[in-house]
Amino acid sequence: MHNLILLRTLLLSTSQRNQLKYCTDKKKKSRIIGNYIGIIVLFFMLMAYCFFMCIGYGMYQMIDAVPGLCALTISLLSFVFTIIKVNGYLFQFKEYDMLMALPLKEKTIAACKFAYMYIKSLPWYASIALSMMVGYGYFAKPAFYIYPIWVMLALVLPLIPMLVATFFGFLFAKISSGFRKRNLVQTILIMLLVLFCFGLRFFIDNMIRNDAVESTLQDTYYMTAKTVELYLPAKWFEKAILQTDLVSLTLLLVISVCLFAIVFAIIGSSYRNINSALKSHAAARKYRMTGQKSKKVVWTIAFKELKRMTGSTTYLVNAGLGYVLIILLGVIALFVRFDEIIALLTNGAPFDPKVVYPSIPFIIYFFIGMVSTTACSPSLEGKNYWIVQSLPIEKKTLYQGKMLFQLCLSVPSMAIGTLGICISARIGIVDTICYLLIGCLLCLFSATWGCVCGVKHMRLDWENEVEVIKQGAAVSVYLLVNMFLTMAVAALAIFIGMQMDHLLLNLIWMGVYALLSGLCYLRVRVLTQRPKMA
Amino acid sequence: MAMLEISNYSKSYGGDKLAADSVSLKVESGDIYGFIGHNGAGKSTTIRAIVGVLDFTDGEILIDGHSVKTEPMECKKVTAYIPDNPDLYENLTGIQFLNFVADVFQIGDAERSERIAHYANAFEITDALGDLISSYSHGMKQKVAIISALIHEPKLLVLDEPFVGLDPKAAFTLKEIMHDLCRKGAAVFFSTHVLDVAEKLCNKVAIIKQGKIITSGTMEELTAGKSLEEAFLEVYDA
Repeated sequence: MHNLILLRTLLLSTSQRNQLKYCTDKKKKSRIIGNYIGIIVLFFMLMAYCFFMCIGYGMYQMIDAVPGLCALTISLLSFVFTIIKVNGYLFQFKEYDMLMALPLKEKTIAACKFAYMYIKSLPWYASIALSMMVGYGYFAKPAFYIYPIWVMLALVLPLIPMLVATFFGFLFAKISSGFRKRNLVQTILIMLLVLFCFGLRFFIDNMIRNDAVESTLQDTYYMTAKTVELYLPAKWFEKAILQTDLVSLTLLLVISVCLFAIVFAIIGSSYRNINSALKSHAAARKYRMTGQKSKKVVWTIAFKELKRMTGSTTYLVNAGLGYVLIILLGVIALFVRFDEIIALLTNGAPFDPKVVYPSIPFIIYFFIGMVSTTACSPSLEGKNYWIVQSLPIEKKTLYQGKMLFQLCLSVPSMAIGTLGICISARIGIVDTICYLLIGCLLCLFSATWGCVCGVKHMRLDWENEVEVIKQGAAVSVYLLVNMFLTMAVAALAIFIGMQMDHLLLNLIWMGVYALLSGLCYLRVRVLTQRPKMA
Repeated sequence: MAMLEISNYSKSYGGDKLAADSVSLKVESGDIYGFIGHNGAGKSTTIRAIVGVLDFTDGEILIDGHSVKTEPMECKKVTAYIPDNPDLYENLTGIQFLNFVADVFQIGDAERSERIAHYANAFEITDALGDLISSYSHGMKQKVAIISALIHEPKLLVLDEPFVGLDPKAAFTLKEIMHDLCRKGAAVFFSTHVLDVAEKLCNKVAIIKQGKIITSGTMEELTAGKSLEEAFLEVYDA
């Protein structure tokens, strides 16, 4: 009973429907409606992508791989996204004191937080499952009862990976609660796990490569089949769909429920203990006053942003993962040939690696540019926004500080990644310098465009920081535009690069991104001059 | 009867010093017990352990005869807690939040309607209950937190700096409610920096310094003809 009351309240307290119903601010209402429309567009895009992928499989008579692919896609996404945000949902929420003081069991609170996270992410997984079901149904023409089985199991599919990820999150929180630098330890552990998952993908890929298959689609087909063999829930899902195997169907349902009970019995047993440790800090009280040094205002703001980021595991993992990956890639590139890296990233698609050269800055940008601290940091000010608002600094200076911090993060990691790859690919000095300059301009674009989104879609009344770090309108708009623009430009760079002098092409990209960054910066200036904005 | 009994409670945050060091005190039914100390003395740490928010290893805390460690649910059912800066669900309306708390305590329709109406009128917040909590001022949020704490008629009311942010009328109403609860056999335990309030309101006081209770007892015993401020400074600086 308590479970339902708490879950209902959690959903209501973060539902935009409730705000829409009771809010009297017309501007806020129209922003909420805009968010709804944006999310619906995203759902349709995701569904279209999944559907057309099924069409590809169907046309090459590989439709049998679709159930397994659907199970694996949902499982992998739910695992990775859960591991990144579980800490914020289970341990770092604001109303912890209020909930713990109510007669609610610790297990109930933890389980409700998990159920809330599951329900919030379910529409995304359901979009994948339903569009793949339609694609599969179109080609395979299965019996009518396969559809309800598919729908039912698709709802259950994210549970096991999410529970496993939650257990890891709990384990990492428990381990880190014993350290003074808890956030850092937790962040490192989460990043190591995510890197391990990426590594596992290449390990499985290697296993298939030994089978010496040739075509890229066949590669993916065999990779899916092999992974489904290894990951039992996906195998059960596939067998339930392809062979109407009731044993597999029951196994998937029962194991999910049992795992839920086990995981939350374990988490509940030391939930208060971990939260107590994570939410309290030993104070040395040994500070002795020394000479203080003054800093420029923008550097002070940038330093504040650094402390905000390192103070939150969720923020650090989300914002920092791309930088860690690109630095690793830059270092690995010094030991592995560029064509081998490209072969790994493209599943061995047959083309000359030199063709990819003009798109190197954009490939690197794909790692570091898809998350920008400037997109979420205005909202992250939350209740503390009064501090910067009441200070005698111009708003443009505040956002310049935020952009400076973003550049301090992105430019060095971009430089390491670019240099590593350019050395590995034996690219000439002029082109390397060009790629570094394009990289810098891309970083500048990321900072300024992120700031436009962050200011325009600022939301200060969040309940949990995950809402603005991962799910906020600012972050979604930033990501969507940035992702499609980068993909389009990278493809264009490859295409035009085959026909045009690389130096000229690089200069064109520099001009384009300098212009875009300048426009975004001006937009930030305009937005921050509006009386009610920012 | 002891409504709250703390015996040798200690809490360490992993540093050299203890945030609470062998704290012992007893709050009887009908007591309004003031908990006084400087910033960082260990008041909130002790309060958070009493209400089951903070874990602790050393000592024992009993509420109405039940152990906070081993019977937390029994303790929470009879306790209400109002933190110094309540974090409520901002995107719920005031009435939605109060209904949530009433649902958790399983309060019937008639009782909850009557209690919410009574306390909302007393705190003059009835008109605002249909608005989102995010639109409330700090004081209004504090009032909603107080109403939510009173909705199940607690036997033990634990408050951390309850008068911060309240307007004079609301502060007066809260004091009246505290007296009323105690007349019905409940007990109130609260921390405060405002010694004048403590002196007028409490019948018992404990003073905590660097995690240790340095003195406790009835107001008469502690002040011995002096003002609470003088008595406090005397023992604190000793």
